Amino acid sequence: MSGESASAIQRSQVDLVDFIDWSGVECLNQSTSHSLPNALKQGYRDDDGLNLESDADEQLLIYLPFTQVIKLHSIVIKGPEEEGPKTLKLYSNKEHMGFGNVNDFPPSDTAVLSPDNLQGKPVVLKYVKFQNVRSLTIFIEDNQSGSDITKVQKIGLLGTTVETTDMKGLKKIEDHQH
Amino acid sequence: MVLEATMICIDNSEWMRNGDYLPSRFEAQADAVNLICGAKTQSNPENTVGILTMAGKGVRVLATPTSDLGKILGCMHGLEMGGEINIVAAIQVAQLALKHRQNKHQQQRIIVFAGSPVNYDKKVLETIGKKLKKNSVAIDIIDFGEEDDGKPEKLEALLTAVNNNGSSHIVHVSPGPNALSDVLLSTPVFTGDGEGGSDFAVAAAAGSASGFDFGVDPNIDPELALALRVSLEEERARQEAAARRAAEEASRQEKGEEPSSNAEDATTAEHGNIADPEENKDASDEMDDENPEEAQAMSIDISGSDLSVGDAEMTLEITEDRELILALEMSMQEGEDDHQSAAESLVSKVLEDQAVVSSILASIPGVDPDDPSVQEILASLRSHFEKKNEDETPNEDD
Repeated sequence: MSGESASAIQRSQVDLVDFIDWSGVECLNQSTSHSLPNALKQGYRDDDGLNLESDADEQLLIYLPFTQVIKLHSIVIKGPEEEGPKTLKLYSNKEHMGFGNVNDFPPSDTAVLSPDNLQGKPVVLKYVKFQNVRSLTIFIEDNQSGSDITKVQKIGLLGTTVETTDMKGLKKIEDHQH
Repeated sequence: MVLEATMICIDNSEWMRNGDYLPSRFEAQADAVNLICGAKTQSNPENTVGILTMAGKGVRVLATPTSDLGKILGCMHGLEMGGEINIVAAIQVAQLALKHRQNKHQQQRIIVFAGSPVNYDKKVLETIGKKLKKNSVAIDIIDFGEEDDGKPEKLEALLTAVNNNGSSHIVHVSPGPNALSDVLLSTPVFTGDGEGGSDFAVAAAAGSASGFDFGVDPNIDPELALALRVSLEEERARQEAAARRAAEEASRQEKGEEPSSNAEDATTAEHGNIADPEENKDASDEMDDENPEEAQAMSIDISGSDLSVGDAEMTLEITEDRELILALEMSMQEGEDDHQSAAESLVSKVLEDQAVVSSILASIPGVDPDDPSVQEILASLRSHFEKKNEDETPNEDD
């Protein structure tokens, strides 16, 4: 049932990388040679040799503002089996968070990535929580093997923008979710 | 020109009473802090600086990051020394203050003045360093004052933990005749990772050594520096002229020259000076009417200079015009009456030579010799000089 709805929904989903406001993108604890564009930008993220890597420890905090309001349906995280991310916390519309206050508010959603996900299978999120997203903060808490460095090959966001949402499609989705 | 928010951690512990840095460690530190604040705000007007004290009753924030230099310098007053520093808490408080900065696009930097012994373990310092690195905060450590064993190593360990691509630095200053601030001027603390933010440093160094050129760095603001320089020359020339003429002509005023002078002091005369051969104290009277307009129509340099004559010595370095030098020298040697006419005649000769004038004008920034208004004025000046020559000395050519 959820599989059906998932595929039905995904038909209308769009890759949201085009709506990212690059001037405000921030990533804390990234290593300078392996930085966020490697995982986000069109050409780079498909190259498995180019990763986003963490620096001082295994956590990463990525802040992505969008140029318009979007609804986020699912995310795709690709990474190596061992150093790929495991626990992901997503916060919508919280600006400029730091590692100190990630634990201060409950995340809009949490995802634990399985090796399947690391191969590129999208992680479906709680769509209701991401209906009105202006900015997304992704907190990567730890990685698969517990090593000191977390590596991410690709971050993809699937969803729709608010203006172009098809109302009929929206209703259908709500039905399925509930 | 990096956009940066800086928190300066001041050491106000008992160890700062020591006089091994003149006049005392504390004052040397205060000096350095003033310089740093100035440098930061000058390199980018949107930079903010904040101050906190590390010792005393506890870590206390005196000023949150602000771009208001006056407020920062003001809170440095009346600081009392006492207690011992708590580096770890200070760095954490500084980090918090930076976290809540108003402009989130600013890079974060902490500058620590470590003058007293550091009682913390290397491990603790390293953990703090890692936290700073994780939150992309850079740190500059100034190790001075007490040199107990272990302190440099601990501070170096802190630095390596924080350092991300060389954005953090440490400076060790040993006591000696050089002021703390002078030593710091040449370090990356001021020059900002060698980006060239050293304009301020260079200027400040020159300033402290030889008297700053009007408080404005010629590299940063050449027009302002030039304008100030020229008005300076005018002032001096005017004073000399006034002194010289006090005996004879009390009535002649240099009204026309003043409008363009911005009334600053200090000077090294410049090509701006040379560029005004047409002006002459004697001529000023009759040219009074024209001058205000000229001053506005042309750049400040041209109409402003009151005197090329009086400042002959200083102007010589830039001149390209030998006749002018001659005129100036002659004017200095001869008596007052003589020099005026001689200079005038030379001046008018120079003026007549269009090429010379154009080249002089071209050397002044901001003046286009082909500009019609400039040409007009020159023409009028020339005719004016011709008229004067006819009037005064019969043996003038032309």
